[in-house]
Amino acid sequence: MNIKKSILLRVRFAFLLVAIFAGVIFYRITHIQFVDGEKWRQKSDEVNLQYRKVNATRGNIYSMDGSLLATSLPFYRVVLDPSIAKDEVFRAGIDSLSFLLSKQFNDKSKDYYKRLISDARHTNKKYLILNRKQIGYQEKQEMMKWPIFRQGRMSGGVIFEKVEKRFYPFKALAGRTVGFLNEDNYGAGIEFSFNEYLGGENGEALFQKIAGGTWKPVHDANDIKPEDGFDIITTLDVNLQDVAESALLRQLLNKDAEFGSVIVMEVATGHIKAIANLQKNKNGYGYGEYYNYAIGGQGLTEPGSTFKLLSMMALLEEGKISLNDMIDTGNGTYKFYDRTMRDAKQGGYGKITIREAFEKSSNVGISKLVNEHFGVSPSKFLAYIEKAGIDKPIDFQIQGEGIPYFKTPGTKHWYGTTLPWMSIGYELKVTPLHTLMLYNAIANDGRMVKPMIVNSISRANKVTQEFKTEVLRKKIASDKTIKEIQSLLEGVVEHGTAKNIHNSDYKIAGKTGTAQKLINGRYTQKYYASFAGYFPADKPKYSAIIVIDSPKGFNAYGGDVSAPVFKEIADKIYAQDLKLNNVQNPRARREQFKDNDQLPFVQAGMAEELQMICNQFGISNHYKGAERWVKSSANNKSIDWKANKVDEPVVPDVTGMTLRDALYVLENKGLRVDYAGKGRVRSQSMTAGMNIPKDGIIKLTLG
Amino acid sequence: MVKLKEWIDNNLKGDPIIWGIVILLSILSILVVYSATGTLAYKKMGGNTETYLIKHSSLILLSLAVMWAAHKVQYKYYAKLSLVALWISVPLLAITYLFGSNVNEASRWLTIPLINQAFQPSDLAKLALIAAVAGMLAKRQKNIKDFQNTFLPVIIWIGIICMLIAMANMSTAVLLLSTCLLLMFIGRVPMKFIMMVCLIGSLALTSAIFLGQRGSTFFSRIENFISGEEVPYQAEQSYIAIANGGVVGLGPGNSEQRNRLPHPYSDFIFAIIIEEYGLIGGATVLFLYLALLYRGMRVVAISNRPFGGLLSAGLSFALVLQAMVNMAVAVGIGPITGLPLPLLSMGGTSLLFTGISLGIILSVSRGDHEDAFPVEGNAPRKLAKVA
Repeated sequence: MNIKKSILLRVRFAFLLVAIFAGVIFYRITHIQFVDGEKWRQKSDEVNLQYRKVNATRGNIYSMDGSLLATSLPFYRVVLDPSIAKDEVFRAGIDSLSFLLSKQFNDKSKDYYKRLISDARHTNKKYLILNRKQIGYQEKQEMMKWPIFRQGRMSGGVIFEKVEKRFYPFKALAGRTVGFLNEDNYGAGIEFSFNEYLGGENGEALFQKIAGGTWKPVHDANDIKPEDGFDIITTLDVNLQDVAESALLRQLLNKDAEFGSVIVMEVATGHIKAIANLQKNKNGYGYGEYYNYAIGGQGLTEPGSTFKLLSMMALLEEGKISLNDMIDTGNGTYKFYDRTMRDAKQGGYGKITIREAFEKSSNVGISKLVNEHFGVSPSKFLAYIEKAGIDKPIDFQIQGEGIPYFKTPGTKHWYGTTLPWMSIGYELKVTPLHTLMLYNAIANDGRMVKPMIVNSISRANKVTQEFKTEVLRKKIASDKTIKEIQSLLEGVVEHGTAKNIHNSDYKIAGKTGTAQKLINGRYTQKYYASFAGYFPADKPKYSAIIVIDSPKGFNAYGGDVSAPVFKEIADKIYAQDLKLNNVQNPRARREQFKDNDQLPFVQAGMAEELQMICNQFGISNHYKGAERWVKSSANNKSIDWKANKVDEPVVPDVTGMTLRDALYVLENKGLRVDYAGKGRVRSQSMTAGMNIPKDGIIKLTLG
Repeated sequence: MVKLKEWIDNNLKGDPIIWGIVILLSILSILVVYSATGTLAYKKMGGNTETYLIKHSSLILLSLAVMWAAHKVQYKYYAKLSLVALWISVPLLAITYLFGSNVNEASRWLTIPLINQAFQPSDLAKLALIAAVAGMLAKRQKNIKDFQNTFLPVIIWIGIICMLIAMANMSTAVLLLSTCLLLMFIGRVPMKFIMMVCLIGSLALTSAIFLGQRGSTFFSRIENFISGEEVPYQAEQSYIAIANGGVVGLGPGNSEQRNRLPHPYSDFIFAIIIEEYGLIGGATVLFLYLALLYRGMRVVAISNRPFGGLLSAGLSFALVLQAMVNMAVAVGIGPITGLPLPLLSMGGTSLLFTGISLGIILSVSRGDHEDAFPVEGNAPRKLAKVA
């Protein structure tokens, strides 16, 4: 037999084998189709498969200083496919697994779990929810080390089904502003307004419906990976927010008021640093955040006297009056048509200057002036309102902004009495946010910036979108007018309706407002007390508005109710914010240290903080390193900062640090700290540079 | 018509029936892949189903072009080329195993820089090894029983390549080894040597399982299949598709199981073909593969030289064996392997290598190309025309 013939024979033999194999495949197809066909077609209807969404992880909400205001925490439901584990694995692990489960969930006995799992294994169940109780991430990590579970999903059969829960570390702080989102995707605040960013893109995966109405994922991985949401960084400052909220709460409790709102804003940028809304709980005790009165539609109200600022602005811009002109307010009443305008003071202020009329908030004085100069053409007055930019919504970042309401001359709602009443803040509606925006523009020398609450959007610590301060009006009035109004607002605090908050440390400028509340078309004896202003008056950093609705008791005026809240907030901010405490005379302080010929007891801490303190006190100091933590060394009347390498994985040197810093540094290393004494750390029980013992306790002596 | 025929005669040389089968399967491939990628397109491309249609069609066209180019080359060059390719694939496979991108926990893919196209070096290695083995066997036909000079070099190459592939892709390695064994059998290697290869092969595979990434998956699949207690999800869905199809099928584009079967456009495309085109469609596909193998085999009969015959036989068997294995999986005769159905499945560069394989078979079938290794001294050295 020659080579070719032999090869040919072999090839034909091989071909025959393949042909037979093909025949078997064909037979198999017919078998599936005709013999088992009914069974499979039935199964096709039974197996209930569906693409279901896989939720993306929702983004976090941060305050400007990086505190977490809202975050999503993962929780897990523990499910087991008991049929997966191999016999020897199952037998070896089932006892200790049921023991651990019983201990973990603490509801059923070890035997219960053992029976539950073994029965399910016998009946070849594919999906067994071990317990409805959800576990946290740490517990999950722990559980993954348990017998059987540690084999993973493919060979152990354990499935941890993730469920996310929204968590608010600061609880109700700025609750209504941080907001919420319910299951129908409806909600409030930032959670709702920025849902598009926070929500991310949901993924999809194939699920199979199993008995009991639960859905079991078919594959291990998702078919479309969900894309996690973006983080939102707000302009809020947790400390200021806390200050604002507690000051407001105290006054609300004090006055048993219905609700109150506070907004604190940074003058130059329009960044809202704090926003609080507290309302009496339904049961009548205590207060909670239920509605964003500071911004929302229900917060629209007749502002009262804080609006007189706009009247003065219009009058001054018209150039027809000067602040020292006299105005006769008479006996405190004045009749426009059929309605009588009244001043708060019984018997009236008599003849006073226009400045006094504003500072004492004379309704008669202001309305007479406005009626005199704008009565002929009220639309001119409205043109000034428009120029000031508070007649329209500003498209605030949080949805649900109240729409300002102003009457139009010539329409059927416009009466002869409308203009005078408008001039003192009635017959129009704005929200506290709009009023504050106007006061902020005055503080900002006429430049009106748009209030904002979301500073940037980021993902994985990378900023993807940054919101810049938006200027709504470059100049709402002439420089001269702005200067005059600023002096009027300072006057209100110095010797007007808010002189109770006058203090010598720093100057506040602002205006009180006390509006009678219109309920069912009638003005009642309930009041809406407000104070809007800014501080420090000579170099404004923050503006704020406080409104308190229906305070009870004898003194229901804005000056008595709301201004003290403003002062309390301003005081605390002033004390905290070093930049506001402009060093009056650095040299004098420097002399002090020269005389003592002694450097202050600043030994160690964070470079940035220590440098700032020393600079404030005019102590010369030098630092060339880049480490965050430093130790000091005196060098001929100046301080040299030396890098203190606390980031290395050994026991750090904390001597000279404040207790607060030392605790931070040491506990981050996993050490427990025990201390005695007061002051800075004098000595530490573990030598710096040694290895960190696990669960070690370090003793600090302060002094 | 006459002009077309003329053009075909001038340009599409080689076995016309192989050309016909390839073109038929290509058309079917485009139809079925278009239908089966509906879910994938919906999920990944936001409903733009044409994306995959266009991509797949252009790849098919490209692979036909590659096939045409390959059939123009005199097949004697493939003997040298295959050795070069074999040397290249060794480092490529190693690099892929160590640094390749991970799909389903196995690194099989290497991204070609510049054009940014992922490709599986195992495709190249497979083609190169079969061609090289055919070459080596052909060259040594006279002393085929010589252990040291004939058998050893062949088996060393087979061992190295299969081992490297096995580390990341056990199914491909086993199939390749089987094909090589078959080729050796056809190439007249004594049975005792082949039994030895079986031994070495099983040793090599076992060690790869312990060293490689996918060993446990491979075994658990086989174990599941043999124990047979429970039908795995994919198989169950595949049976449902086959049962739904009936004799005439649901019609093109009417598959329901494409939404439930994982990889309906590749691993389980045969099930979708039966669902849409019925038993008739399935049988036709089976027949087409057998016909392809038959025509590939016929080349052995007409070629005077062993290299052409062995090359053609090896490549035809490699292709058709893989097809048989894939179809066997879909109908539940074999454990789930994850091997695509050549010529029909969607899949980037492996289509191109299939194209090259077919091109080589066609090149041999032309009969007007010179063989690389003469066998008998008295055989004519020049063209051996076959009518």
